[in-house]
Amino acid sequence: MSSSDPDSGSSRLSLEAVALLQAIALRAEAARRIEGEGARAVLRSIVEATVALFEAEAASIALYDPASDRLVFEVAAGEQGQGVIGVAIATDQGIAGYVYTTGQALALSDVERDPRFGRAVAERTAYLPRSIVAVPLIDEQGTIGVLEVLDKRSQAAFSLRDIELAGVFARQAAVAIRTSRVDRDVAALLRVTLVELTRGADSAPTRAIDELVAAATAEFGRDDQSRLWALVEQVARIRRADPDALELVTDLLAALARQTERDTRTRRRGRGSRVP
Amino acid sequence: MTDPYLPAWSEPFVGDRRDALDRAVPFVGRDRAAALGGTDATGVTVAIIDSGVERDHPAVGGKLVASVRVELGDDDEPVVLDDPDGRDVVGHGTACAGIIHGLAAGAELISIRVLGPDNRGKGVVFAAGLEWAIAHGASVVNLSLSSRSEALFATFHELADQAYFANVLLVSAANNAPGASYPSLFASVVSVAAHDVADAWTWYYNPRPPVEFGAYGVDVEVAWRDGGRIVATGNSFAAPHIAGIAALIRAKHPTASPFEVKAILAATANTASPSR
Repeated sequence: MSSSDPDSGSSRLSLEAVALLQAIALRAEAARRIEGEGARAVLRSIVEATVALFEAEAASIALYDPASDRLVFEVAAGEQGQGVIGVAIATDQGIAGYVYTTGQALALSDVERDPRFGRAVAERTAYLPRSIVAVPLIDEQGTIGVLEVLDKRSQAAFSLRDIELAGVFARQAAVAIRTSRVDRDVAALLRVTLVELTRGADSAPTRAIDELVAAATAEFGRDDQSRLWALVEQVARIRRADPDALELVTDLLAALARQTERDTRTRRRGRGSRVP
Repeated sequence: MTDPYLPAWSEPFVGDRRDALDRAVPFVGRDRAAALGGTDATGVTVAIIDSGVERDHPAVGGKLVASVRVELGDDDEPVVLDDPDGRDVVGHGTACAGIIHGLAAGAELISIRVLGPDNRGKGVVFAAGLEWAIAHGASVVNLSLSSRSEALFATFHELADQAYFANVLLVSAANNAPGASYPSLFASVVSVAAHDVADAWTWYYNPRPPVEFGAYGVDVEVAWRDGGRIVATGNSFAAPHIAGIAALIRAKHPTASPFEVKAILAATANTASPSR
């Protein structure tokens, strides 16, 4: 391969850029795995704290899943809570659905008086609560899920203060979810950036990107000492620090790409001048 | 005689036209009998924008005179369809209807279902339901839901104004969570939160907006779907109490404008001390 051949030069640049982006994708995936599990751990600790504080039989968090258009119970705590994990319900179904669609917190008691209520979920979890409080999880985009607490052991019903208290836990949960969604947004951003950067490259963008990310993540954990890790780390730190810094992340990624391009050109020129 | 050089909006205040302003503003002081005594709200129509109302539920007393549902059409535009079956997909709308009927037995009820399998409580569907209520003769509209969509801020603002100028009183449940929620935060709307005094006829006025009224909303025994009953807590159940009381005021003082009804509600509210 000759450095004076512009076509092969562009191809080399593309290969180096791809290598860099592979590295970024690898690290983004690492961050996603670590922090994704972190968000879930926070959610789990929130429902555990909810159960302990309310002395409740169960607490759970259901999040809206846009892909299936359903509310999916992600975490649960309490003796009667575990069965609900993984259960998906329509967004207009039952109390969770109502609270999700209206954004209105709600407490119900004497539920056994009408066994038809909540039947769909109760049948799957083999637990029918007597009382329930459900509050929306809200971020700046709107309602993203529902926190439910079932059966306070000390009382037959939940009070207004219980609703407010559940609201405090719901806000914590929403913050944790927002953080993990920033991760997802960054992953999406990375994808867009990859598409942009490889536009005009010799491979078909979309499938190539999928393969690229797959390849990068397949090598997850491989020791790589690239000096660019420092920059990538910086990007990751900014992302963790402030979700509003996404634009900055975009700019950083763009700058990173430009820098690599310049470096590659410089190295190529340098190599060219040394070769007689 | 109207002076042709005066702007149109001065007309009501000029010359002979002033005679039309000769009307006693219904300032009833703190006298509840003068405010709403001796009427059961016959002649007043209350619309319930919610999950539907069960036509045959005993708590509704056969007063459901119309029932529609709003869905998204093929072009994603909301369409209002007749829904004669009077189905309630959750039970919540029936709960609201039962509370209103319990206070204002003569009021005719209209159900506008904006929650359901086909629309997932979308803001545009809710807005279309509200617009329909304003245009179809409701003089009180109960909204135990609100939208958090910033994109719909202007739409809901316009609808709140449209209602106000069309002499329609909007009664909305306040949101428990902080943050934007429309139209419950608009000034012309009667915004209601729950109190825990177990009395449907106790309501409080808070001179510090946005939540101006407190009504019974804790451990309220309410109608639920499939002819059932349930004990419920939430601002959702406080709003229909004020809607029912407002219906009585509107029946007793048919010329009272929405802001006058609000003033009467404030004047006749309970004070914290039981002496009044």
